[in-house]
Amino acid sequence: MAIHSLSCHLLLLLLMSSLDGLIKPGSAFIHDWDQRASSVTLEPHITGCLSRDQETFRCWWSPGNFQNLSSSGALRFFYLKKESPNSQWKECPHYIYSNRECFFNMTYTSVWITYCMQLRGENNVTFYNENDCFSVEDIVRPDPPVNLNWTVLSISPSGVSFDVRVKWEPPPSADMATGWIRVHYELQYRERNTTKWEALEMQPQHQQTIFGLHIGKKYEVHIRCRMIGFKKFGELSDSIFIEVSEVESTETTFSFTIVVVFGIVGILILVMLIIVSQQHRFMKILLPPVPAPKIKGINAEMLKKGKLEELNLILSGGGMGGLPPFAADFYQDEPWVEFIEVDAEDTDSGEKEDHQGLDTQRLLGLPQPINQPMNIGCANTISFPDDDSGRASCYDPDLLDQDTPVLVTTLLPGQPENGEALLDVVGGTSTPERSERPLVQIQTTGPQTWVNTDFYAQVSNVMPSGGVVLSPGQQLRTQESTSSTEQEETQKREKDSEGEEKKEQQFELVVVDPEGHGNATESIAQQALTTPVSPIPGEGYQTIQPQQVETRQAAASEDNQSPYVGPEFPMAQFSVPVSDYTIVQEVDTQHSLLLHPPPHQSPPPCLPQPPPKSLFGMPVGYITPDLLGNLSP
Amino acid sequence: MHAMMTVKHTAAWALLLWPCLFTVSVPLDCKDEQVSITRCPFISQEKLLDRVIQHAELISRISEETCSLFEEMFVPFPLRLQRNQAGYTCITKALPIPSSKSEIQQISDTWLLHSVLMLVQSWIEPLIYLQTTLDQYDNAPVILLNKTKWVSEKLISLEQGVVVLIKKLLDEGALTASFSEQSLFQYEPAPDLLESVMRDYILLSCFKKDTHKMEIFLKLLKCRQTDKYNCA
Repeated sequence: MAIHSLSCHLLLLLLMSSLDGLIKPGSAFIHDWDQRASSVTLEPHITGCLSRDQETFRCWWSPGNFQNLSSSGALRFFYLKKESPNSQWKECPHYIYSNRECFFNMTYTSVWITYCMQLRGENNVTFYNENDCFSVEDIVRPDPPVNLNWTVLSISPSGVSFDVRVKWEPPPSADMATGWIRVHYELQYRERNTTKWEALEMQPQHQQTIFGLHIGKKYEVHIRCRMIGFKKFGELSDSIFIEVSEVESTETTFSFTIVVVFGIVGILILVMLIIVSQQHRFMKILLPPVPAPKIKGINAEMLKKGKLEELNLILSGGGMGGLPPFAADFYQDEPWVEFIEVDAEDTDSGEKEDHQGLDTQRLLGLPQPINQPMNIGCANTISFPDDDSGRASCYDPDLLDQDTPVLVTTLLPGQPENGEALLDVVGGTSTPERSERPLVQIQTTGPQTWVNTDFYAQVSNVMPSGGVVLSPGQQLRTQESTSSTEQEETQKREKDSEGEEKKEQQFELVVVDPEGHGNATESIAQQALTTPVSPIPGEGYQTIQPQQVETRQAAASEDNQSPYVGPEFPMAQFSVPVSDYTIVQEVDTQHSLLLHPPPHQSPPPCLPQPPPKSLFGMPVGYITPDLLGNLSP
Repeated sequence: MHAMMTVKHTAAWALLLWPCLFTVSVPLDCKDEQVSITRCPFISQEKLLDRVIQHAELISRISEETCSLFEEMFVPFPLRLQRNQAGYTCITKALPIPSSKSEIQQISDTWLLHSVLMLVQSWIEPLIYLQTTLDQYDNAPVILLNKTKWVSEKLISLEQGVVVLIKKLLDEGALTASFSEQSLFQYEPAPDLLESVMRDYILLSCFKKDTHKMEIFLKLLKCRQTDKYNCA
């Protein structure tokens, strides 16, 4: 019931107030400052009152439609301060006619006390509205804050949005230090060219953060404040504009530069450390060492390790070393180089001196010491390099002795018996067995002195047995018994390699046809015997050149060298100092070339072959076919 | 909705400040009951003043919210202006309390504190009355009732704090609140509901003003305590 009656009363009141609102404009200025109801008759009225600091306030009036009262002074402003029931109306303490304003200073301003305003015209005409009463604290509208500024608080990692901190100062007119006024601030912002303002929460601090603004967009910000506990806001401040462009990401560029600088510094430090710690390597990079001289294909390690076979291979030019064949000269000068012979008895390559001695003797057809334990590498000056690692490359005087009869017989078909004998001796000659050499050596009996060899010695005489006498100071081999040679041959026949035979044949006896029939054996010709050849007049000669030789044929020229075989020369030891270059006059059984037949020696008892006929008739001897026949054993 | 949020905010503030009651009230208890010193925590004068000011600010805020709430709920729009007209009908109008800033700046600290005390003591009883009357409203929101209740409780603690302040600052003995003995508020049964509403409305608005006054007085006092020369 009570509620129902109450509601009825309220409705009536509402109706009345609405009517009143129509009749009396401006009555509600307390509640709504801006609202001005329009009406037909507009009498002078108070348009509004305002206080900024709760210490003073102002009121404005308007004459309305009453033009006769528009002049200044026509209307008077009165106020009533309801301090007591006996309060009186008082006139405005301070007129500002230009604004139609009445200003109340601090003396006349009392807070928490109701003021009523009225206008009076002449003749005590009063224009009064009861509703124009207020209390000062209700009309306080603080001034807007000042010194609004903004700073970027942070930028999102994506670079899309950023946060801004806005700061301001309280309005100077408001006495906030003493606490006379306590305000709340309201910050508003909006994007440029939009209509709706975004309002942040009210708070009493002098700064506020706006989150989530977009980079590249322009924003407008302003602020206002109002008293705490009251409704009326003050005026809005002037707008400030916030814009962050993408270029302003100084933090990222700054961090990037920091990273780059630190990277460079780190790299520099690393380089310095490398230089300091590893100077040698660095110096190597800067200044590469000068290479030591070395022979292409020959490794110094090979020599150290004693791999003479490989070295021979390389030096012979057959291997990958690719040394040219003429290096055989050098090769032959050092007979010990090649002859690390693989033999059943040979295990050590260290006895090079022995090899040297043995080889030389072998070359010269001299008897070798019996107690030669080692196998002799063929230290022949006449030898030539071949594929076989020194084995077949050496000149084997045994072979020569053996082959010579063959060759001799071929050369001297006129002496078939000798030739046959020779052939018998020689025909079956196989590559001399290395082990047989001592036997061969033994066969060479007779006083044989071993003279200091000069490996460019010349063959001074060739024994009919095939031995070769080398000069200077070389002793001829004595005539060897045919039996011994036969033994040799048989033994040698067993072990034979064609290549060696070829080469030995090739090596041992070469007869040059001065008339240009054949080719001189290059092997012999190349090395020691470069005797100028004077052709034997009227006699044709055949080159005792085994047909098997293929490679060496073209090398020698017939004019230059011509080892000669003089089977007619007696196989006697002969030590005659000769010139460096002489001719082969005999070939003894041991396939040694005798350059000068030994005159003193008696022919050996067991001469397997008849002593060759001397060819003294010809200082430069040529083997005639009939002479060759004498060579046959 | 904004009022609801502020009411909640204020409630949270009240809960936070609830230990302040002890700090404010304990010295009184210690002195009155002659309890040993160990049970009475000591509080400095500045802190006490700060807390009193906090109380006053909260009470002022809550009173403003209560009045607004009541005005929206029960007072028709045209009648809302009547509170201004009834300015001199506030119960505390008779108190010799300055109301202009110039006057306030001229009065002494003692007078400031005493003024505050008088105000506080004057409103304790009307608030209790308000609670009872608001319960009679059928559709009074619970928030309104809670706020009113809260304010009346805080007012009592505020009174105690001010009393201690007076003792400390002014070195005065136990002050017998002579004003509190006189009941300024006289309860008159309202003839009808509207009158009752209007009376309550005016009561609330007057209370709002007085709490505002209390707050300003205490702040001015604090300003004087800290920096006397700028608070002229």
